[in-house]
Amino acid sequence: MGRMPLGWRRFDVSVIRLIVCFCGLSAAVAIAADGRLAVNDKLVPEGRKDLLVIQDALTGVLAKCRAATVCIEIGEGSGSGVIVSKDGLVLTAAHVSGRVGKKVKVKLEDGTELAAVTLGLVADSDAAMIRITDEGEYPFVEIDRDDSLRLGDWVFSLGHSGGFDEKRGSVVRLGRLVRIANATLQSDCTLIGGDSGGPLFDLSGRLVAIHSRVGQQLQVNMHVPMKIYLDNWEGMMGSEFLGEGPFAQKPVKGSGYLGIATEAAEDGGIRVTKVGRNSPALEAGIKLGDVILTMNETAVRSRDELRELLKELAAGDEVVLEVRRDGELKTLTFELGER
Amino acid sequence: MVFGLLVTAVMGQRSLESAYRTTGKEVVAVFEAQREALQSCSAVLLQGRDEIGYGVVISADGYLLTKASLVLEVDGLAVTVGRERFKEVEVVAVDSAWDVALLKVAAEGLKPVEYAETSAVAQGTWVAANGATSRTRRRLLPGIISANSREIPPAGGAALGVVLKVEGGRLAIEEVAEHSGAADAGLKKGDVIVKVGGTAVAGVEEIAEALKESKAGDVVRVEYLRGEREFAVDVRVSTRGEMFQIEMDRNDMMSGDFSKRRSGFPRVIQHDILASAQTMGGPLLDLDGKCLGMNIARANRTENYAIPLEELQEIAAGLMKQVAKPAVESGE
Repeated sequence: MGRMPLGWRRFDVSVIRLIVCFCGLSAAVAIAADGRLAVNDKLVPEGRKDLLVIQDALTGVLAKCRAATVCIEIGEGSGSGVIVSKDGLVLTAAHVSGRVGKKVKVKLEDGTELAAVTLGLVADSDAAMIRITDEGEYPFVEIDRDDSLRLGDWVFSLGHSGGFDEKRGSVVRLGRLVRIANATLQSDCTLIGGDSGGPLFDLSGRLVAIHSRVGQQLQVNMHVPMKIYLDNWEGMMGSEFLGEGPFAQKPVKGSGYLGIATEAAEDGGIRVTKVGRNSPALEAGIKLGDVILTMNETAVRSRDELRELLKELAAGDEVVLEVRRDGELKTLTFELGER
Repeated sequence: MVFGLLVTAVMGQRSLESAYRTTGKEVVAVFEAQREALQSCSAVLLQGRDEIGYGVVISADGYLLTKASLVLEVDGLAVTVGRERFKEVEVVAVDSAWDVALLKVAAEGLKPVEYAETSAVAQGTWVAANGATSRTRRRLLPGIISANSREIPPAGGAALGVVLKVEGGRLAIEEVAEHSGAADAGLKKGDVIVKVGGTAVAGVEEIAEALKESKAGDVVRVEYLRGEREFAVDVRVSTRGEMFQIEMDRNDMMSGDFSKRRSGFPRVIQHDILASAQTMGGPLLDLDGKCLGMNIARANRTENYAIPLEELQEIAAGLMKQVAKPAVESGE
């Protein structure tokens, strides 16, 4: 069955064939970990009393979980994420962060906007990290480090479904863990675009997984288990691009696109003679006649030098251009487009 | 014992049997008391054999509330309450701001819905609503309150329901949207709009400005020229998204069916029940089987809106007044 990644407003719906590879389930279920609710070990809640146990657990931890759930704004789209350390480490999905070292905006539930940068990611299992770069102390949640989730456990999801909406807040959904596979958990908490990268919690409020994608049926909702994050923690903290697709593609050197034509200027630099329609350069505000002096702090004296610099950069990379316009120096910062 | 069963299920299978999933029959069975409440206080709306929605029983003598846009253009509307089928259903009155209709069937001794004390319950609180229905039996779907209570502003803004073109500095109507306030008020192609809400308008932006503060269901005075003569008429304002096809985004495409009218509500509470456009109009119950509100829109895959019980009771009272005193045709 085709699965849809949940990146909001990304129309390049790559249909991902999920290889469901089941691990042998051990029989070591009998030992309940600390903090694990007994209701999880019942096939169905026994009447109203158990329903209230679930409700009380959820309402008890919701405020704390909600405070740590963030909206991640990247260009035109948005996803979700969750803060897991006081200094602002955020877990999200690889198809939300998209790449390593990209500047993004993180929004808290109350609308506070924070600067952040994407760290490493695991491209084949849809895991990624982001670091809030504005200094501060942030609300955060505990990670389930013990792989303690079991089939049938009650779980709840949070996320900024369809994008940030301050009046609505993030949306909470309750469900059960209905399938366990190697790199994927499936729950019946419904997800939609914008939820990607958001957190799945157990009833103790521990983070157990991150939202990744949905199936065609409402009940089929996929999450990346914490195990994937814990196994790849150092690499992701070290801003490594791990694994190969399908959730993120390695940047290809030379794929970056500026969208200008230039000629050598008499007194140094290169003069812009054309600005392409719908080009990144146009959007960044480059004008005809601007003289580009440096790109990423390297002097540009000819078209060839510009070409050489671009060869080392990829689509989506940030460039800083220093230009002279009407005798004044300006600095323009923007991302290269896709060639 | 129960614990033992789970271990078996885990070892024998790689996924949880569907009966034990959140909307599976074994879990739903835990909500039998709430299901019994639905059996008496909810009505099933039918067109032929198709279920098109649900309703809320608000009186012993057969008054029901439902989502108006589910029933307004339906021929041969029938209703089941309890086990009884009513083939004569009268649409008595409509509150277009809230998209609520008051229906009447010739019944006696119905058990009206009991309201909870407040709709302001914590997020994460269990709720239940109508799912599918067998001929005689209501089925239930469980869920939770899932977001802040709030207004849902009209998608695409408030509008009269006309497509305009500027002709020689005049705003002429090019097209009138079906079922719009403009159509109901009798506006026609070729009419020239002069004033909206007392403000002279000469451009489309000025109309948008004049409607900026309007909500769906509000009435605004429109002055217009037909030929040489000047007329004035009250036009109901609707959400643009309801009258004109708004392009579906990717979330709409992954949402299956959603309610056509899903915005322009003064206040809603939100829940996560696995509902559909055809399960709207019925009551939203708490674990006591008491009514927290009425389901008014399936917004998308993850979001459903219900009118809170406080507003629902006001709407019901307003609509019942129209029963007592039939509205006098307005006219000069």
